[in-house]
Amino acid sequence: MAFNSKKRKVVTRDTPSENDSDDELANGLLSGILSHSEDESDENQEGGVDSGVSSEIEGLSDGGEEDEEDGSDTDLEGDEQDIREQFRNLKTTDKPSSRNAVDITLDHDLEANTNGEMEEEGEDMKPNYTVTTDANGNLRYIYKEIDPVYDSDDSDAEATNTIGDIPLAFYDEYPHIGYDINGKKIMRPAKGEALDALLESIDIPKGWTGLTDPATGKPLNLSEEELDVLKRLTRNEVLEDGYDPYPEMVHYFSGKTEIMPLSAAPEPKRRFVPSKHEAKRVMKIVKAIREGRIQPYKPPAEEDEEDEAVHYDVWADEKPRPEKSMHIPAPKLPPPGYDASYHPPPEYLPDNDEKAAWLGADEEDREKEYLPANYEALRKVPGYERFVKERFERSLDLYLAPRVRRNKLNIDPESLLPKLPNPEDLKPFPTTCSAIFRGQEGRVRSVSFDPSGIFVASGGDDGYVRIWELLTGRQVWNVKLSDEEAVDSVKWRPDREASILAAASGESIYMIVPFSILSPDMEQASRDVLDAGWGYAASKPSTTTNSVTKEPPGKWSRPGTRLEAKGVLLQTMVRSTVKIINWHRKGDYFATVSPRGQSTAVAIHTLSKHLTQLPFRRLKGIAQTAQFHPSKAIFFVATRNTIRSYDLAKQELVKILQPGAKWISSIDVHPGGDNIIVGTYDKRLLWHDLDLSTKPYKTLRFHQEAIRAVRFHQGGLPLFADASDDGSLQVFHGKVVGDLMENATIVPLKVLKGHKVKSRLGVMDVDWHPREPWCVSAGADGTCRLWS
Amino acid sequence: MESHAEVKVPIRLTTRDPTIELPQDAGVMLVQTSLRRPQLSSLVNSLLRPDANPIPFDILVNGQFLRTTIDEYLTKNGVSAETTLELEYTRALVPPLNVSSFEHDDWVSAVDVLSGGNVQSGQERILSASYDGLVRVWDMSGDVLATSQAPNNGGRVTSLKTARWISDKKIVAAGLDNTVRIYKYDEDTRTITTNLELFSHRWGVEDVAVHGPSNRILSASSDSTISLFSANAKENPAAPANLLPNSTAAANKRQKLSKPERTVPARGALSKLTGHTSPVSSVIFKPDDATVAYSASHDHCLKTWDLTTSACVDTRTTGHSLLSLTALPKLNLLATGTSARHITLIDPRASATQISVMTLRGHKNAAVSLDTDPNNENSLLSGSHDGTAQIWDVRAVRPSDVQGEGQVGESIYTIYRDSAGGKPVHAHGEGAKVFSVRWDIEVGILSAGEDKRVQINRQMGK
Repeated sequence: MAFNSKKRKVVTRDTPSENDSDDELANGLLSGILSHSEDESDENQEGGVDSGVSSEIEGLSDGGEEDEEDGSDTDLEGDEQDIREQFRNLKTTDKPSSRNAVDITLDHDLEANTNGEMEEEGEDMKPNYTVTTDANGNLRYIYKEIDPVYDSDDSDAEATNTIGDIPLAFYDEYPHIGYDINGKKIMRPAKGEALDALLESIDIPKGWTGLTDPATGKPLNLSEEELDVLKRLTRNEVLEDGYDPYPEMVHYFSGKTEIMPLSAAPEPKRRFVPSKHEAKRVMKIVKAIREGRIQPYKPPAEEDEEDEAVHYDVWADEKPRPEKSMHIPAPKLPPPGYDASYHPPPEYLPDNDEKAAWLGADEEDREKEYLPANYEALRKVPGYERFVKERFERSLDLYLAPRVRRNKLNIDPESLLPKLPNPEDLKPFPTTCSAIFRGQEGRVRSVSFDPSGIFVASGGDDGYVRIWELLTGRQVWNVKLSDEEAVDSVKWRPDREASILAAASGESIYMIVPFSILSPDMEQASRDVLDAGWGYAASKPSTTTNSVTKEPPGKWSRPGTRLEAKGVLLQTMVRSTVKIINWHRKGDYFATVSPRGQSTAVAIHTLSKHLTQLPFRRLKGIAQTAQFHPSKAIFFVATRNTIRSYDLAKQELVKILQPGAKWISSIDVHPGGDNIIVGTYDKRLLWHDLDLSTKPYKTLRFHQEAIRAVRFHQGGLPLFADASDDGSLQVFHGKVVGDLMENATIVPLKVLKGHKVKSRLGVMDVDWHPREPWCVSAGADGTCRLWS
Repeated sequence: MESHAEVKVPIRLTTRDPTIELPQDAGVMLVQTSLRRPQLSSLVNSLLRPDANPIPFDILVNGQFLRTTIDEYLTKNGVSAETTLELEYTRALVPPLNVSSFEHDDWVSAVDVLSGGNVQSGQERILSASYDGLVRVWDMSGDVLATSQAPNNGGRVTSLKTARWISDKKIVAAGLDNTVRIYKYDEDTRTITTNLELFSHRWGVEDVAVHGPSNRILSASSDSTISLFSANAKENPAAPANLLPNSTAAANKRQKLSKPERTVPARGALSKLTGHTSPVSSVIFKPDDATVAYSASHDHCLKTWDLTTSACVDTRTTGHSLLSLTALPKLNLLATGTSARHITLIDPRASATQISVMTLRGHKNAAVSLDTDPNNENSLLSGSHDGTAQIWDVRAVRPSDVQGEGQVGESIYTIYRDSAGGKPVHAHGEGAKVFSVRWDIEVGILSAGEDKRVQINRQMGK
């Protein structure tokens, strides 16, 4: 079938070319060509069958010849249709020739027409008449005699319109459309309604077109053939009559097996035996491939992967994890809004101020990550320069944000703290500094309230003992005890009927009656107390007359007139520097501690007898401080790490307390007698309950530096305070209940700041007012302060 | 806003001062809520005395001084603008300006003014007692007219704590040497001579009170007693022998060494009031009854004494040490300064159920001296160790949040020490503590203190 179609194509292709050539060659030269072609066809017919291909190439041959050749080539089978078509084709070739003849005649008419006009014009130029005047005086045209030649008579000529070169449109308004050769009006043929009525009534003649011949104004009739040609022309078809563009398909090869094949020869062997030649050639190629002369494919270009970026597969050993119930998927990013668009509505666009604000803001402070921008078209949107950074940050967020549910214990941490009363409810306690006692040089080492609570005594590095009016801070009295030694301790004797101040400077203890602030009877009472022992001291040496070798541990004497004039009435010398004085509650005994004295470190003095006793023959450790029990005959001695309590009546050790401190600085016994607070140089304040254990009941570590002094309020208020080298005092509420079942309540109340730290020393001593919640502190900055 | 300014509120103007009462009750008036104190003050002036010089008035609304517009007050306190506001007007406190300072050699512990009575205006005398043990009399121009001699007390400290005029010829002063001394002031010779020494106390005297007509003197001492003396030597009994400076041998010797013998009559106390357990800081006579005295002590107690029987009539216990005392007679209140930095107003009448009627807060340190405003019975002056003298008005109070505290007020004016540059000093008031204040109708506000001067502030334009 494929072959067949090919053949047909050849035919269809050739035929139009013939027609075209016909059209092109139509002007007057046709006859010659036709004749020539006839000659050729004759020759071709004589030429024989095998030259079919060459005749096609020559091209100018007729379809008929071709068909004959086709027939010769293919009509071996012999088909009637083929023959019929050949005839049809022959007919079509004939047709154009006749039509060409018509065309020629038409052309000729036109030509003749034009020629005629030209001639007329020429005759008008040279007039063929002479103008004379007739008898009436009118102009008279005398025409020349017409020569009766062939051309002179045009009576047989068609009545043509002779309006000349005037457009017919000029006659549109007139009933005529021009003039004939005789000058008669050529009337406009009837048209319009009248014509329509006429047309209704009459049959349309054959070949009527409805067109008007513009030259004559008469209806232009076309013959059937002419109409057909016109129709084909408009349809862009082959003008030839009888041409079938869709001829019936000729089945040259069909599946039908003929009973009698054209050739009876058996199939040649080569049809089913593989070609040895081909095998040889294939083997040649195979050999070449094996030898490597030919490479079957282009080897891939060797890329040096090592030279390029090294990739690590981070997730290489990641195992798929089972979905946990506690798993929380990564939070989704919010969808982009209008302002994220490349062409947002104008109200989303920032104005200049907003833009400047956005650009000026720190990257973390910006509300939006991007600045909305407007682009006319998507293709004008530039690359997003933050893309990599944004991806990175998102990844970082996802990586760093833990998305795990944790089971939290929902416990209010406040509820775990022990219930402590609000400090506001524990008023009164000192809160502010209400007076500063200024005027001393060097550190103030010790401070003490007088028993009535009107005056305060202080002793310091300048060797002075000073007495101050409490509220105003007015210095009312002073005495210089020593030029070299500092006053290490001052302590009022606890008696309201007499006013005696004990002060320790160096190895001496002085008893002072500051008479200038005392009334005469008070002065007399104080003097009497001090003078009571003189007689005893005078009588004593008589008992131990000849023991010169044994020196008494304390020498009692008068300090000299200079000091006596100021009120210093008694001096007691011990063997080493006294650091601490503590009175017995009745005011007859006082204990002194001189840490450097080995066996004489702790001494108990009896004022009424002017007697000094050394209760300990040998002391374990260095004595720091010693104190009497407020109500019982018990004596507390603190060494560096332990506190021992002795029963003075039975003369035995009662208890050893071990606060666990490295270096005890001071202790104070609660007025109730069952509790001791201990201040240490290792910054701790320890509360010992004597009934509980030898270990501290509570340890308070609130200071940054060593604690120098601790003191209970002695007047019934549940307060105690400590003084530290960090320049602050701390006031605590320490309530001791009589009930043995209940422990002491300790509440930190207030940190009193004000003292300056001087050469790493802050507050040296503290003492409480006998009744009021006021305390006085001695500072290393040379001031004392009253806190109330 | 404009519509806001148009809001009007009905007000009724009242006053407690009969001298500035409106001639006829103006009734309820409608005023704009945008008014402030000056406009209201001029409104009162136009109603009161349209042709005279305007008096500046302060406006009190529900016991609070109006410091904003009425609108802001209403908004702050949630009061409807339709309720009638009771506006109380009172003479405005003209800020007292510092007039002059009298310089001393030592801390000035007390100051008093002699004025009124037969003293001509401009001839007022100012008395000051100092820690150097001397009393001085000043005239108004700041010149010392007379200075006392240092007392011969056997080498004791002589610092004075208190001094008062008894009359224009007599002065009483006392101090740390336990002795109450009566001086005679002679205007003509300009001398102050010790007239009488009264011995009764064993510790320093903190305060004296004087009743001129009856020549009675009360002294409060740190030995927790109060003694009643007469200014006339003859009325007092003989002095207790053990309290005389020459009672002991050593003291007698010192006294003889120090000064030539000079005889000053020594007398004892008419009666001794005991009952306090701590130093008595202040004592006053009842303003209208010289047989009754009030005393304030460090033992937190305010006691009422019947002087005729020398018995304690009533005891009011507060929470803090009391350091000063004054009476507000019209209000039947006693004002007492405490060590807890506030002033408590106490009703001493036995019928009173509440201990503390009012608490005035604002001082930063103990309030050690009190006096009343001579112009205004509702006003109060206090001096404190924090270096300020403050003026209070008992009407400018509000209910307290704390139970048992009564009402709470704040000071309406604060006078700072001129020596400290007129600026606040530290709360401990070092170097600027005020020890004594006095408010005189002629002289103004006097305050004496640690800066060794008496500072006088006066309300100008009055």
